[in-house]
Amino acid sequence: MARPTEDERRIFELLRRHPFTRALPENHLQRLASIASVCQLQPGDYLLREGRPVDAFYLLLSGRVGVEVYQPDRGVIPLQTLSRGDAVGWSWALPPYRATFDIRVLEPTEAICLPASELRQLMHDDPVLAVSILKKLLSMVASRIQATRLQLLDMYHRENP
Amino acid sequence: MNHSPVPHPALSMPTQGTFPLFFRVVRRQRETPDTYTLWLEPPAGTPFAFQPGQFNMLYVFGVGEVPISISGPAHDPIPVVHTIRAVGAVTRALVNLKPGDLVGVRGPFGTSWPLEQAQGKDVVIVAGGIGLAPLRPALYHLLHHREAYNQVVLLYGARTPRDLLYRRELERWRGRFDMEVLVTVDRGPREWRGHVGVVTTLFDLAEPFFQPANTVALVCGPEIMMRYTARELLRRGVPEEHIYVSLERNMKCGQGFCGHCQFGPLFICKDGAVFPYPQVAHLMTLREV
Ligand code: FES
Repeated sequence: MARPTEDERRIFELLRRHPFTRALPENHLQRLASIASVCQLQPGDYLLREGRPVDAFYLLLSGRVGVEVYQPDRGVIPLQTLSRGDAVGWSWALPPYRATFDIRVLEPTEAICLPASELRQLMHDDPVLAVSILKKLLSMVASRIQATRLQLLDMYHRENP
Repeated sequence: MNHSPVPHPALSMPTQGTFPLFFRVVRRQRETPDTYTLWLEPPAGTPFAFQPGQFNMLYVFGVGEVPISISGPAHDPIPVVHTIRAVGAVTRALVNLKPGDLVGVRGPFGTSWPLEQAQGKDVVIVAGGIGLAPLRPALYHLLHHREAYNQVVLLYGARTPRDLLYRRELERWRGRFDMEVLVTVDRGPREWRGHVGVVTTLFDLAEPFFQPANTVALVCGPEIMMRYTARELLRRGVPEEHIYVSLERNMKCGQGFCGHCQFGPLFICKDGAVFPYPQVAHLMTLREV
C-alpha cells in the first residue's frame, strides 16, 4: 500500500477519535482515511436535500447542523439537531441513495466527508469493514428511532395531571 | 455509597403537622404560559427549613390540596418558593393566586437529593419540563458549595422554547465557567438557534464533561423520560446506585398515613419522592402498581 499522505494521517487521527469510527481497527481506519477529506461548512449550506442523491457520509467534528423537513402549510420544521460526534444520515447506505430529509448547516461546522460511492466500494471489497460500519450505523439508527419515538410521545404535554 | 433513600427528616417544624399553616403570597411570576412561581411568606415567627428535593402540600381554600416541590434555595428558605404548572383544579387555583392571598402549607415532606453523598464527584442533573423545579434547589446547593463537587452538568429538555423554565437563570448558569449547561427542545421553530431533540440526545455532547464511574446523576421529569435517561446513564457507565429519580403520584396526607401515594411496596410521600433508581427501576415499567 502507498504511504499515507500528511492529510491522510491527520484524517486517520480524526477518525480514530470520532465516536462513529473510534472502535474500528487501524487497517480499516487507514482505508477510510484514504478516501476521506475534511470539509468546512457555512451556515445555510445544505449537506443533504430531500429527494436528491446522497453523495457523502459526514462525521461531524464541530459545529451544528439541523435535520429539517419542509411542509407547504407550515414551512420548515426542524426535527433534530446534530453536532460534534454525530454522524449524518444513513441514506448513503440504502438504495436508491437519496436523502429523506434536508440537512442544513446552522453554524460553522467541520466534518469528515466520506464520498458515498467510494465508501460503498470499500465495503463491497471488504466485508469485515462493511459489517463494522453497518453495525455502528444500526446502533445509530436505533438510537435515532428511540429519540424520535420519545419526541412523538410528546411526553411533556400533560406531565402532572 | 449509601443505597437507601435519604432519610425522612424528623417532624420538627410547626408546618409538618396534619393541619396547614397559612402563608401569604408575596410575589408571583409567570415562567411559561401555564407555569408560575409563587413566593410564600410564613406567619411571623414561624420557622421553615427544607432539604433540596422535598415538597410541601399546598392548600387552596375550598379547592383542595396538592404536593408541590420546593424550588428555591435551601440556604435561604424564606420566602418559600414553588413553581407550579396549571394542569388541574388545584394547580389552576394556585397559579391564579395574587400577592396578599393566603395559601395553606404543610411540609416539608419527603426525601431529598443525595447531595452529601455526591461530594467530590461529578454531578449530572437531567431535567425534563417542569422537572427542573424540584432540581433547582439541588443546583443552588451545588453552586453555593461549588468547591465540594467536581464537574456540574445540567441537561435540560422541554417541549418547546416557550416551555423552558427559569430562562434568565439558565442563561446565567450557561455563562459560568464552573458548570456545563445543555438545553434542548422537542419542537423548535425555525428561529430557535438551540438544540432540537429529546433530552437523551444531549448525552453525546455532555460526554467530555463528566466521568461516568465517578458521577452521581439526579433526574426529574416525566417518568418515561426518567426511564430512558437512566438507561442512557447506565449505558455510559454511571453506576446504577448513583442514579436518583424523583417520582410523582397523587397524594393526600403527605406523611405516610393514608396510602394514597402507594407505589408497589413504597409510599412516594414518605419513602420518596427522591428514590435511588435501583429501588424503583422494576416498578417504573410495571403497568399497575
Ligand atoms: S399521601 Fe398519604 S400515604 Fe402518601
